[in-house]
Amino acid sequence: MSGYDLVDIEVTHEAADDLLDSLSEDGAEGEHLQSIQAVRLQAGQPDSELRSLKELDENSVKLLEHQVDAAYRALFEMDGKALLADEVGLGKTIEVGMILKEMHFRETDESVLILTPAQLAKQWQAELRDKFGLDFICNYDDEFEDFDAHDYIIASIDTAKSDRHRQTVLNRDWDILVLDEAHYVKNEETDRYDLIDRLSYNYAFFLTATPIQNELTDLYNVVSLLRPGLFGTRDVFHHYFVNSNQETLVNRDELQDRLNKVMIRNRREDTDIDFTDRTIDTRTFDPTPKERELYQAVSDYVKGAYSQDQGQKLVLMLLQKEVVSSPLALKQTIEKRLYDQSELTHADELESILDLIDEIDTVTKQERLLDIVEEARDNVEMGRVIVFTQFRATQQQILDRLVSEGYTVHAFHGGHSSSEKEQIVEDFEEEGGILVSTDAMSEGRNLQFCNILVNLDLPWNPMRVEQRIGRVHRIGQKRDVFIFNMALKDTVEEYVLERLYHKIDLFQQSVGELSSILSRLEESGTSFEDEIFERLVAADSEIDLENDFDTMAVDLQEQRELAGKLEKFNSGVFEGFDLGESDD
Amino acid sequence: MTDASISVTQSVVEQFTERYLRSIGCSVERRDDRWLVSVPDDIDTEITHGRHTLVRGEGTPDDDSTKRLHPESAFFQQLLREAGERSPSGKLSIESESDIEIPEWIQNSAVEGQGAQFTPYYDRTAIVVLFRVGIETVSEYQQELLRAVAVDTRSEESLPKLAETFLDTTAVETETASGGAVQLTKTDVRPLLETARDLLLESVQGRLDDIHREASRAADAEVEEYRQMQQQRIQELQEAHSNLSSKINDLSENINTGDEDSRVEALRERKELKSEYEELDETLNELRERRDSGFPDRQREIRERHSLDVQVTPVTLTEVEYERGEIDFKLIDGSRHQTVTLGYGSGIGVADTVRCSSCERELTERNPLQTISDGLECQSCIKDR
Repeated sequence: MSGYDLVDIEVTHEAADDLLDSLSEDGAEGEHLQSIQAVRLQAGQPDSELRSLKELDENSVKLLEHQVDAAYRALFEMDGKALLADEVGLGKTIEVGMILKEMHFRETDESVLILTPAQLAKQWQAELRDKFGLDFICNYDDEFEDFDAHDYIIASIDTAKSDRHRQTVLNRDWDILVLDEAHYVKNEETDRYDLIDRLSYNYAFFLTATPIQNELTDLYNVVSLLRPGLFGTRDVFHHYFVNSNQETLVNRDELQDRLNKVMIRNRREDTDIDFTDRTIDTRTFDPTPKERELYQAVSDYVKGAYSQDQGQKLVLMLLQKEVVSSPLALKQTIEKRLYDQSELTHADELESILDLIDEIDTVTKQERLLDIVEEARDNVEMGRVIVFTQFRATQQQILDRLVSEGYTVHAFHGGHSSSEKEQIVEDFEEEGGILVSTDAMSEGRNLQFCNILVNLDLPWNPMRVEQRIGRVHRIGQKRDVFIFNMALKDTVEEYVLERLYHKIDLFQQSVGELSSILSRLEESGTSFEDEIFERLVAADSEIDLENDFDTMAVDLQEQRELAGKLEKFNSGVFEGFDLGESDD
Repeated sequence: MTDASISVTQSVVEQFTERYLRSIGCSVERRDDRWLVSVPDDIDTEITHGRHTLVRGEGTPDDDSTKRLHPESAFFQQLLREAGERSPSGKLSIESESDIEIPEWIQNSAVEGQGAQFTPYYDRTAIVVLFRVGIETVSEYQQELLRAVAVDTRSEESLPKLAETFLDTTAVETETASGGAVQLTKTDVRPLLETARDLLLESVQGRLDDIHREASRAADAEVEEYRQMQQQRIQELQEAHSNLSSKINDLSENINTGDEDSRVEALRERKELKSEYEELDETLNELRERRDSGFPDRQREIRERHSLDVQVTPVTLTEVEYERGEIDFKLIDGSRHQTVTLGYGSGIGVADTVRCSSCERELTERNPLQTISDGLECQSCIKDR
């Protein structure tokens, strides 16, 4: 590569006097051979291996060859500064978990900072804890004080760069920096870039499936943060690797060679990941007239109350979700609100909702659930089915109903200790029957022995949905997986399911694909749940509502297409397709 | 040139440690993962005398009597230092009985080899030096290489094959090697060491070039970054400069129009601003001048900081005896027999270049012997026909 001046080389020959003096000394037989061997061993690298591998609980995480290989290369061949750029869905988080585990084992991790997009922070925290036994505090935890108060921190990059925290983050020398979705720092003029550029750290691991978002300069920026100087100056880089007239790559081999020093990119076709099929069966049911009346009353109440006091948003959102989950869940929340809170808006409306609840004798979803579990009892090994609900009250009601029908049941929720949880999963595997679980069923639990999952109600957060499915449809699942979604007609749940989730093909996405879509969406600054709720309460008519949801679906589809295009573009750059032949 | 380092596995660690401890007079009793080592008082070693327990692998840290034994353990590193310094020079012999090395142009040949007979005529001596080469720059991690260089003592010719044989002979698996007392003196060795140093530098040149290019690129990027920063600073100063200038103009107007008190105040203020303006002017001019000349001091400082520091240290020196003579290779091709006699050395292999009797092309691994029906004919010749 031309265009730069060479620096000096100074060669110093150390004196050989001692060595020459030793010529006259008579050593014992064999001593010289041992000296040669010792010198050769001193120069040799310890046969590096991932020593923490055997510490991992096989039930919590099953590592794939390409993941172990990536962790090894990042640690030992790239000296702890690497861009992990696997294609989506290949488990970059696992690779980083492995790296962090190893560094923890070797005690080189006194302070670790993981920066992620806001909505992935908690997920990172759960994965590192459940799969690798690594405890991190997250900036959304109540116990979080500041960036100088904890040693293992997961934070949203935007929190870290905020005026409030920025200086504290920068004042510290971090042992390890992990940057998820590293393509967000592609632009050297942004505050995010500036933050990473100024951060002080010894080791760094950047993750992205799409190192290049728009142009090759993106890659220059991301790589230069990790290994300043690897590509020389921006101008020289451009001049050397991009033929600006035709926007084609030149000197591709050298680009590859240099990238190989810092970037690891596994492709799906090179790995042995092979998922079984997933069948989605979405069942919508007509609610009973009483249920319909209740739904309408709750929706009206939520809408009215929100227009008067937006501060109640969380509770109102909860009511709107509970009304389609179970009347009992709704009832408990309303009672709590009525009797525990001294000041209350619209107490009379709530009272009348309670009356409506009491009038309901048939809970449609619960009845229909029986169809599914019965079918499973006849056709599936030990009749194993997992039923997910967001609410403890709903869970209890289902359990009671199933027991009354003579089913073997197991309950799993956040209130159990971790040894109890383990026991529950074990019992479920051995005894079969139905496991009714809240979303407290965490990442690390291994449930591949079951292949039927029922979403009795649906979280308004697509990541949550995918996490549920991920409990059974994961590497190691040998059978096809069946997912049943249950929704009541003409309710918010039907909209979310039909208009949003099905349109983005949510149920067929892998976690990786989904997170890349959602993190793109998050760039615009809204959370998925909020968006759904706002549209729900703002709509003046049913048609409005439908249109609103359609618009949201279009946005999502666009993000999905963009994510897909980017992924394709990156494959092109890195594997040599699409951009045409190299010009050199 | 062959890398002389040996990768350090746990089994190598154990093999070497046990052998070394026994060779200096310690006793070692293996009990599964624990070794009981007893170091008699009268032996010359830095290892503490008395009884120790060595625990294989990693785990709880060392204490006075228990030491860990694994590739990175302090005890093993201490042991390597001591063993390395014990006898850095010595003598080894490469025996003529060692395996005969069949040249690749025969191995890959369509003609069958039917045995070889080496007749040594005279003993030769070479030195083999292990050099430690440290390469350091600010932009790259420090790299340390260990390289073996072999030089014939009489002809000063480079013997890369012998260096390879030397490395094979001194692998950790080798427990003993015949040698004897060193014959060479300091005076003999000095010029040979010089030659070996030159050969070494030639051999690592490619590696140095790569690192050199990378360091230069890194320096260049830093210079560019500095230049941009200064350019930005110039712009900021220019802005401040023009702000001051307009403030001074405003004050001048006040002086012309205001009453006496405000005039005096404005005059005082203008004086202050003017001196500030001049200071700024000076800084700006100086900065522009430096920019126009390309920030030579800063460039020099950056390039100096990125320069490569290469340290070459000879760590062991071995006098190697080997034999030279002639070798007869018996070749059979159908009913034809032929014997080829070539110059040969133990540890260095065939010393002669052999050419095709028809086209004079050199016989090599890629252009092996094809037939002996009409002299030694190469593959290319047969293909051309």
